Amino acid sequence: MTVNTWIVVAGDPAIGTLIATARSLGGEVTAVVVGPRQVADTVAAGGVDKVIWLSQPDDVPVEAFANAVADTVAAAPGVVLGGMGPSERVLLGAVAARLQAPALTGGMSVTLEGTDLLVKRTIFGGIAEDSVAVSGPVVLVLDGGSVPAATGSAPVEQVAAVPAAMTVVTTKPSEFEQVDLGAAMRVIGIGRGLKTKEDLALIDGLAGASGSEIACSRPLAEGLDWLGRDRYIGCSGWNISPDVYFAVGISGQLQHMVGVRRAKTIVAINSDPNAPVFAEADYGLVGDLYQLVPALTDALK
Amino acid sequence: MKIVVPYKWASNPQDATVGTGGAVDWSRAKPGISEYDPAAVELARGLADATGGEVIGLTVGTKAADTTMARKTVLSRRLDRAVIVADDALEGAGSAQLATILAAAVRLIGDVDLVITGDSSIDGGGKMVPTVLAGQLGWPAVAEVSSVSGTAGSVRVERAIAGGTQVLEISGPAVLAASTDAAPPRLPGMKDILAATKKPVQTVTLAELGGVPASAGTVTVKGTTRPDLKVRKQQLIDTKDPAAAAAELVAALRGDGAL
Repeated sequence: MTVNTWIVVAGDPAIGTLIATARSLGGEVTAVVVGPRQVADTVAAGGVDKVIWLSQPDDVPVEAFANAVADTVAAAPGVVLGGMGPSERVLLGAVAARLQAPALTGGMSVTLEGTDLLVKRTIFGGIAEDSVAVSGPVVLVLDGGSVPAATGSAPVEQVAAVPAAMTVVTTKPSEFEQVDLGAAMRVIGIGRGLKTKEDLALIDGLAGASGSEIACSRPLAEGLDWLGRDRYIGCSGWNISPDVYFAVGISGQLQHMVGVRRAKTIVAINSDPNAPVFAEADYGLVGDLYQLVPALTDALK
Repeated sequence: MKIVVPYKWASNPQDATVGTGGAVDWSRAKPGISEYDPAAVELARGLADATGGEVIGLTVGTKAADTTMARKTVLSRRLDRAVIVADDALEGAGSAQLATILAAAVRLIGDVDLVITGDSSIDGGGKMVPTVLAGQLGWPAVAEVSSVSGTAGSVRVERAIAGGTQVLEISGPAVLAASTDAAPPRLPGMKDILAATKKPVQTVTLAELGGVPASAGTVTVKGTTRPDLKVRKQQLIDTKDPAAAAAELVAALRGDGAL
């Protein structure tokens, strides 16, 4: 048993994981690409069997082709894969609506079991996982992965499409350097063990010495407002995978720890020896963070 | 301008507990208007006030979405009225099904110029409801929207893209998914709470909207588990001497190649 798959590409060829997943299902892999020619060519070289290309003029957003993508896929309804970005989701939403197909998110693995697809998903912000069996058409929203290496040269078929009435007026690069916790090599997460907002200076010191970004547990961003909401880690916040995560004054509830489960190494500093964080840590320091953080800062200098 | 804001009556997984067998227990979680929906309400309110329009809250869910408390909580936000589809047959409905019913309700409301949604629901969090809804209506959709201006049938939308922002012009009706920080939600005051009980609510039955939508694909849950957290070393470092403890930790991290 094999399954043919569609891969929906919204201008970004970072679909290496999608191609690998589609390939593992054994059937024919067709990519529908909205974007410039160059993106279609990158995808065609990346290991798919065929590319259907919808050429995107510069002043028209990818989203304007959502219905056209749905029309294309509706010719052979089946398993449709796509990335998690906002434009990808718009194209996939139109496809799911056209196929009357369920749209599943949070997928971690997709395998074939008899005639069904077995999808392992993370659900409810990561506090649980489930396995679902899927039969019939389905849209799977997955982590796209990186740009695939050039391994082949699938044919590219250009299809004419009429975009929806939307145009790009201006495009501006961001003025600020955004905090990208997702890309940080080292992250310090602070929790309620920190007594006052002024004590953040202590954490700044450690961040400087260790080359870390500062993040926090949810109460610090939402109840106390010490840090921005874009800095909290855990279910409904960031899910990160740094080399080192320092959990400082964090008790380690499941809702927080799911956000750091992909960290290579976890260090926990907490005064409560019974805090659940120690069971999830590689190195645990039971003690007063007001002594341990400065000591660690000095040791790193 | 007639703007519909779909909202969800939902609980935060932060407040749920997960048993060792993986069962998710929501009994201690208190449902409310889903976290990111108030930002959509504010975005819609701003545009409606600028154009002389109306903001209609719309929810599709189980009976829990239509209690007196739920109505009051939602209508104390800056909505003009609400349309509620509450049916326990929707327990466990998928995002595509909910979006299909929302689309039917938007058609029933009629002459809608714009749908503005929150970024995602606090429980499911899949971010697919707005885009499937747009697909069902055949309208264009844009996500990560930070601001919107214009008039019925012609709006200007600013949205976040990788490394910056983009301004789009859209003709005709559309579905916009607001970014989580698009508009700071205003907390309802006493006056808003009192006014809430006077705002009109229209209940629509699921049957009027065609029942639970058929799905071309079926999804069967085989099992639920607690997430597999990585097995950790759980090595405790003696902290009697903080400086020695720090040195030991740094040495260990360097030894692991983590620093």
